[in-house]
Amino acid sequence: MSKPSDLVQGTLDMLLLKILALEPMHGFAVCQRLKQVSGEILQVSDGSLYPALHKLEQEGWITAKWKRSANGRRAKYYSLTRLGRRQLEKEADKWGRLSHAITHVVKLREA
Amino acid sequence: MRPEHWLYTIPLRLRSLFHRTDADQELDEELWDHVQRKTEQYVANGMALEEARRVALLEMGGIEQTKEKCRETRRVNRIHDFVQDLRYGFRMLRRSPGFTAVAVVTLSLGIGANTAIFSIVDAVLLRTFPYPDPDQLVLIFDVPSNQPDALSGISYRDFTLCREQNRVFSEMAGNSFHDLTLTGAGEPSIVNTADVTPQIFPVLRAKPLAGRTLLPEDGKQGAAPVAVISENLWHSRFGSSPAVIGQSIALDMRPFTVVGILPASFRYPDGSPRQDVWISVAQDPLFGPRLSQPGSRVLAGIGRLKPGVSLAQAQAEMNTLGTRLAKEFPAEDAGFTIRIEPYRQFVVGDVKSPLLILLGAVGLVLLIACANIANLLLSRATSRGREIAVRIALGAGRARIVRQLLTESALLALLGGVAGVLLAACGVWSLRPFLPSQVTLINTIHVGGSVLAFALLLSLGAALAFGLAPALLATLSNLPANIQDGAERSGQRSGQHVRSFLAIVEISLAMVLLISGGLLIRSFALVTSVDSGFDSRNVTEAEISLPQFQYATPQQWTAFSNELLERLHAQPGLRDSALAAPLPMDRQGEATMTFSIVGDPPLSPGQSPTADYATVSPDYFRMMRIPLLRGRFFSEQDSPSNPKVAIISQALVRRYFPNRDPLGRQMTFGFSPNSHVSREIVGIVGDIRDVALSRKPGPMMYVPFAQAPLYGGEVVVRSPLSASSVAAGIRQAVGSIDRNLPVTDIESLNDALGQSISQERFRTFLVGSFSALALVLAAVGIFGVVSYSTSQRTHEIGIRLALGAGRREILRLILGQGMKLALFGLGIGVVAAFLLTHLMSSLLYSVSATDPVTFASVTVLLLAVALTACYIPARRATRVDPMVALRYE
Repeated sequence: MSKPSDLVQGTLDMLLLKILALEPMHGFAVCQRLKQVSGEILQVSDGSLYPALHKLEQEGWITAKWKRSANGRRAKYYSLTRLGRRQLEKEADKWGRLSHAITHVVKLREA
Repeated sequence: MRPEHWLYTIPLRLRSLFHRTDADQELDEELWDHVQRKTEQYVANGMALEEARRVALLEMGGIEQTKEKCRETRRVNRIHDFVQDLRYGFRMLRRSPGFTAVAVVTLSLGIGANTAIFSIVDAVLLRTFPYPDPDQLVLIFDVPSNQPDALSGISYRDFTLCREQNRVFSEMAGNSFHDLTLTGAGEPSIVNTADVTPQIFPVLRAKPLAGRTLLPEDGKQGAAPVAVISENLWHSRFGSSPAVIGQSIALDMRPFTVVGILPASFRYPDGSPRQDVWISVAQDPLFGPRLSQPGSRVLAGIGRLKPGVSLAQAQAEMNTLGTRLAKEFPAEDAGFTIRIEPYRQFVVGDVKSPLLILLGAVGLVLLIACANIANLLLSRATSRGREIAVRIALGAGRARIVRQLLTESALLALLGGVAGVLLAACGVWSLRPFLPSQVTLINTIHVGGSVLAFALLLSLGAALAFGLAPALLATLSNLPANIQDGAERSGQRSGQHVRSFLAIVEISLAMVLLISGGLLIRSFALVTSVDSGFDSRNVTEAEISLPQFQYATPQQWTAFSNELLERLHAQPGLRDSALAAPLPMDRQGEATMTFSIVGDPPLSPGQSPTADYATVSPDYFRMMRIPLLRGRFFSEQDSPSNPKVAIISQALVRRYFPNRDPLGRQMTFGFSPNSHVSREIVGIVGDIRDVALSRKPGPMMYVPFAQAPLYGGEVVVRSPLSASSVAAGIRQAVGSIDRNLPVTDIESLNDALGQSISQERFRTFLVGSFSALALVLAAVGIFGVVSYSTSQRTHEIGIRLALGAGRREILRLILGQGMKLALFGLGIGVVAAFLLTHLMSSLLYSVSATDPVTFASVTVLLLAVALTACYIPARRATRVDPMVALRYE
């Protein structure tokens, strides 16, 4: 497994929120989905995932519910709240501007 | 956005707080669920079950730590942590009862002493008066310009003019006091009456309980006599009957109508014995006629400043008015100015700085106690090193551990605080009889809200003081080293330095306190051994006051006094008796008067000499054993019809008759209306201390009672008989002349002398006790430090002994270590004392603040105590068995 790239805390929050925006899921599924959609590039360590999820819950951006999954197993499902959706938009916006700026600097012509 | 945010998060946090175990269990479930799924995934990818599980767990990074991190995101952790810390703290304290007991006792002594003193400070300095806006109240006095401290009342005329002409007071009033006989309401009795101008009620914003207070019309001459009574009198003499308003009573045989009742919470002045009746001063049988005498300074003035007017402005205004009065009425007011004094300052007066010094002293005691406990905690902290190291390994943050240790300290401090408050309450209650009169009269000293708040703050402050250093030190220790065996010793190094430092601090603080105590003790010893100028052994004094309605003229007063002395002399054992007004150390104070010497060039107003005045019966000097230096004593020849005479004291001669013979010269002085009577000086007597033992004798002038009688005075009797027999004899003599005449304030002259230095005695006693306490604490402190370090060095001592060191060398080694600490502390303490004791030089009587005798003896004392304290652990060290010590790891 390739080493996960350094993820700044803020971007991790944004990524988690986006994953949960797709559909409600439990922590393990979030981790898997993120790996999947990013082509194995973005991976969260288990030790950081849950504290991050709990923090998002604390902030009121996601909410949790214990549900029985299809095979009868109990798991804690997280879903995005209205507040979370707004936060996600804000973060995505910020990220867009940041990445655009960085790209611009990198693409400058060298003398 | 915020309110919605809270809507989501509050239920969550509450849940975390109250359903802690549920939330925890969920967390656990969640994480294990993740691990389980991961394991399944690995197994599905072909890994063996155990291997898959191991990797999954590894990737989780430690379930407990991750759980803790999750928990930390929930900010309610703090409260739960705190409760946990408290419970743990209790367990730890219970586990070492010896340590807990010592610490709590030490703390309770320190906090208790501070709380007790603070409760006095609170009652005296921070107290509230029963009048609204008491800081606007000022007292108004007439003073001679050259003696601004000789406070005197103002005359009615001056009062009226000032009241009309001033622009700084919203209202001004005057008052005096008199004991009158109340009849018409049960048994005749003496009531303390306040003779007031009606404005005093608006000045003090007094509200009557029923009826009304005096109106301005009641204050005019010739108005219908009305009286306001106190609630206490209403209960005791009028049976709380509502019909008392309108009832007629008689004061000194004059009829008054009761028009109102004042509540029991109202007292003026605050601190005096209660007044039971208020009447207009114009109606008083004694002072009423005096109002029209312009030189009669009968009124004590009080005024309420207008809002926004400063004290300086008011004083300036009064100065102007005073000058105007002196110019308009030179006969009475020349040489006088008007002085105002804030009411609060007057009542609290000179008690402020001694109390603050006491507070400082007792604060030092608490610091020493805290240092002791810090030392104790340090020893404990290093032995708990392993426990703390394990905690850190399990993931506890350093801040968390420091918080936990501080909570333990706070718990200890609060226990000590509670015990201390109880101790303080008992202490203040049991000390009440010894408190100086100025303090007890002022207010009930009780352990109330502000005092408790002070105790709480102090406890928490103490907890921080003694808990912080050990807590920080404990977490600074080396982690892996501590978990190993035998590593506890290596953590001692830094601990030892802090311990020694604390011991040195303790000793220097104790030194400062001891030197202060020593100085006060020396000062007090000197005060009590001073020669008062008269012989006070076996002397009883009693006060007699003649009611106006029966004894209206000076002739009657003289006749009474002669009769009384005759009857006293007739009784066996009471031959040695006399009459005087006032007596030395009289509770009502001395009588200071201006005088002029006939034949001397007239002095400018404000330059008049003053002396203390007393009117005495002829036998007075002989009876009090005051020596006659020149001339003669008074005799029966000095009657009202014969030329007026006077006797002066040596101090007066020295100050106002240098190089001149006073005998045969004349002085002019006297109580109005006799202030212009010239009296020939016929004798010079020795000086006496008439104000207080601690004050040097001042100039005094005496007149024969027959030539200057008063409506009351003090009987003094020297008798070998018992005090009760003397009292009975006096009462019998008085009663045989007039059955209804009360005799009050019977006490021994020695007691009165003691009263005059009651403040000094109280201070000395307190600071002395604190010094003793500080000495004990410091001794315990140094004992603890040396003892602990010795026990840590057992191994080293064993080696030394094994290598051939003698027992005496070991002794010297340990003693040397201890005495080095003591000497350091001593040195610092001496220097600090040198710099600080000048702060209390106002309290010292003829002892310099750097008195070498005191410094030397205290040094010796402290060295001796330190030596003793070090000796015990040193002896224990010599008894170390080398074999045991070498085996000890």
